[in-house]
Amino acid sequence: MFIHAFPTIIIISYILAVVAAMVVGLVLRIPILPERPMRYSWTISIIFPTSILALGFTAMLFKLGYTGIPVAIIVGILTAVFAKYFLERLLPRPQVEEYA
Amino acid sequence: MNEIIAIIIAVVLCWLNFVLIDTWMGLPEAPGVKGAEVIGRAVKKRGGDLAGGLFQGNIVCSPDASAGTLLASAACYTIGTPEGGLVAAVLVYAGNRLCADPGYAGTTGALTITCIIYAASYIGIGPAEFIVGMVLAIVTIQGIDHPLASKLLGKIADKLGRHTKLT
Repeated sequence: MFIHAFPTIIIISYILAVVAAMVVGLVLRIPILPERPMRYSWTISIIFPTSILALGFTAMLFKLGYTGIPVAIIVGILTAVFAKYFLERLLPRPQVEEYA
Repeated sequence: MNEIIAIIIAVVLCWLNFVLIDTWMGLPEAPGVKGAEVIGRAVKKRGGDLAGGLFQGNIVCSPDASAGTLLASAACYTIGTPEGGLVAAVLVYAGNRLCADPGYAGTTGALTITCIIYAASYIGIGPAEFIVGMVLAIVTIQGIDHPLASKLLGKIADKLGRHTKLT
């Protein structure tokens, strides 16, 4: 239950996944941060949710047995592309009136 | 560590995690969907606080930090820490977007509880205790007395500058 042996390669992989997503996100002109107030913003940005998705997708693949730095970088790149072109279509913002 | 003591500590950590993050992310300020407003006004009608009622309504209507905390705990128990928490954050984000919620509270709650679970494992508290802890924590908000809980949530919202401007 308690796993404290955290291989350095795993930590580096997660960091690289986020960095790859950020770099590709910048190239694709995804905003770095949502507009303020951020807690009500529906804008897809590099920090949220692209980085979070990159971490989650990397964790999924690692648990499925696909490990390594190249896998993490590819996941980061694909996550940025996914966030830019497909996320709004897959999970669109609501069309009804918004309260905030 | 004694299991009962571990669960009590987990309840406190889960309660603080989801209440503070949900309040900080503005759940007491406004209803995310109409159902949350209906719940908030019903709680107020029964003698509760509107901001606290909106908090309770928003929790019911979309997966916020409470759901993030519970799902991350369950995922860490199932597939390990921190992978479970990271996967849970993605799932909570998808659930949030489906429930007309931008998703900040849920994903933040999932990530913070993953860090807390990882740190707590050093003192012998595992994800299983956090699952029980989160269930008990949510019972204190949604399962005992709505008006009383809403007043407490309203006071916390007031302290954090997140009290609703609605009347």
